[in-house]
Amino acid sequence: MSDSTALMRRRSVVTFVGRRWALLFLLLEAILFCLIAEGFFTLHTFQLVFVSGIPLFLLGIAETFVIITGGIDLSVGFIYGFASVISAKLVVALQGTGMTDGLAILLGCLATLVIGSVPGYINGILVARLNVPPFIATYSMLSVTYGVSELIVEGSQAGNLPYLASVIGSANLAYYIPGRGLSFFSHERVPRGTDVISLIPVMVIVALIFVLIFAYLLRSTKFGQHTYAIGGSVDAAVRSGINVKGHLERVYTISAFLATVAGIIYMLQYVEGKSDAGAPFLLDSIVAVVIGGASLYGGVGTIGGTLIGALLLSVLETGLRVMGVPTFTIYITVGVILIIAVLVDQFFPERTET
Amino acid sequence: MSNGNSYLTLQLERRTAISVLARNWALAFLVGLLIVFSFTGRGFLSLNNIENILYLGTIFVFLAAGETFVIIAGGIDLSVGFVMGLSSVLTAQIMATMTAARLPLAETMIVGSLVGLAVSVIPGLISGILIARYNVPAFIATLGMLGITNGVTLSICQGFPVSGLPNSLVKLGNGYLAYAFPGKGFRFFAWPPGMVEDQVRNLIRIVPNALVLWVVVILVLLFVLNRTKFGQHTFAIGGSMEAAKRAGIDVRRHLIIIYVLSSFLAGLAGVYNVFQSGVGNFTPFGASYELFAIAAVVIGGASLMGGKGSLIGSVVGVLMLEVLENGLSISGVPAFFRFIAVGVILVIAVVIDQLFPDLLGR
Repeated sequence: MSDSTALMRRRSVVTFVGRRWALLFLLLEAILFCLIAEGFFTLHTFQLVFVSGIPLFLLGIAETFVIITGGIDLSVGFIYGFASVISAKLVVALQGTGMTDGLAILLGCLATLVIGSVPGYINGILVARLNVPPFIATYSMLSVTYGVSELIVEGSQAGNLPYLASVIGSANLAYYIPGRGLSFFSHERVPRGTDVISLIPVMVIVALIFVLIFAYLLRSTKFGQHTYAIGGSVDAAVRSGINVKGHLERVYTISAFLATVAGIIYMLQYVEGKSDAGAPFLLDSIVAVVIGGASLYGGVGTIGGTLIGALLLSVLETGLRVMGVPTFTIYITVGVILIIAVLVDQFFPERTET
Repeated sequence: MSNGNSYLTLQLERRTAISVLARNWALAFLVGLLIVFSFTGRGFLSLNNIENILYLGTIFVFLAAGETFVIIAGGIDLSVGFVMGLSSVLTAQIMATMTAARLPLAETMIVGSLVGLAVSVIPGLISGILIARYNVPAFIATLGMLGITNGVTLSICQGFPVSGLPNSLVKLGNGYLAYAFPGKGFRFFAWPPGMVEDQVRNLIRIVPNALVLWVVVILVLLFVLNRTKFGQHTFAIGGSMEAAKRAGIDVRRHLIIIYVLSSFLAGLAGVYNVFQSGVGNFTPFGASYELFAIAAVVIGGASLMGGKGSLIGSVVGVLMLEVLENGLSISGVPAFFRFIAVGVILVIAVVIDQLFPDLLGR
């Protein structure tokens, strides 16, 4: 009897690690890069991992909601580009009406949040009311948003944004100048060549605020519970009185909303709107969710897992870039990790507490 | 036959007519597009342009054909676009090396193509094994293979198209079965004798070689899908995996073969791409060829749930998307609208599919 308890305990340790292999892998990966990649273990690179990870965090969370309901959203990457284009054009247009730069950026971004959510709402209607498979509905929306944003920028990029946009996009919470001390939000003019250490990029904070809000929504509210319920079994969800159609509409709208937030951040960071800015994230966002332990069949997945998945990809990409490894290696590694992710998942099924 | 009975028959017939139209709405839509564009686009309905559409569609016909098998079996293959790039780059690399070594032309072509085709099978084999033996969802397995093949392709070509290939490749790939020139006669495979270079605009080209290739491939696949046990089993697995297992079908082996087939057809598209363009093209990252192919298959009446689909439908789907693109551009509509139009039509496709459930069975 004690033998079997010991065995069970040992097995559960293996399972515990197996279930959290992504976190383990993330740690190993980070340690490995610190050891072999010169220049990886620096404050700058550490912040770079987060800055370049912003779109993956937000799009990953968008995708998490949809995947938990058992759907998929292929349009997030291009809604991201669409939002960057719309916000850039709106800000420039508002500025043209004689508004101050700050007001133009604020209003432009707020309006974009609404406009960018529309494709998601349409996705929701198509999936929930017209029974279009999510794959097809969101693929169509990918085409439409890409077409519309290309139409708006006429095959080029939306630029001419006010200088203030780039100031906001590249701002940091604090700056540290050795010998002169710490200052918040901006730093005094220094001669060329002086070391200015930037601490905590503002855009990362903005992204994290959205991440926290939606993590709370998924984890601790009825809305979140219903999302899992629908993914577990649509029939059961309908019978227990959940307004499944309305709920799905909201989930797809949330997905587009988060992609829009990411697109606006892109606009502020790169001071332009680019219709295909999100092309690389189309599939990467799904990869992050799956590495994070979600199932494409629905009902399973967490924001924390997705964040780990996104960080894993971001560390990988940043690390390989710091090492100067060619881009194709990154593609291969991501592909291999994705497959390993699912294989490991198959070998360590979740133990249900009884 | 009593009156009531004939009324019923009539009713049934009418219903059948509607449902047949709805089931073949893609074809109806294709014909509609042809009619509209023949008014709006100057030169749309010329022999040259129609042949051009068929010729440009070649690659997508291959990709969609492979995807048709996979989707009927209830899976999905996201890697086809990059497998095509892999085989294109590899074939071109081998041909370029052999050309540089001054080896005979025929050998160069054959060896290059065969190696390209052979290697293109590998990604399909791996995804097939992952899906069939290790229960990895098809979406993930082929997504992983997408990344891996893309990386391998880029490592072979270092991010540049592979050039240095013999000119005769393009002559073969872009050639026509026959040429005619008013007043100078008619000749197979070559221009009529006595033609001057600047008369080339008036040359009448008949049946592109590419069309012959894809018609042959589609005919073979049609036979496989509709007339063999292999095809039946494909539908059976897509209909219900459990039932197929119980009926004694070796589902695992069958699934692996299907992914290999899909990958092979993508490889064929890649090899043909070398003959068409004269260079080895890697697949650009945002190209979404795989999504285009899946869209064509769905427009053609397949269901992503599996068990439903047809090769002819998929070919019609590809042609519809190609005609849409070609017609819009000939009518002077900017390219951006094409994306919007494809998206809208795809949704209409599926909604119509939902509104007219299959009355006749498959």
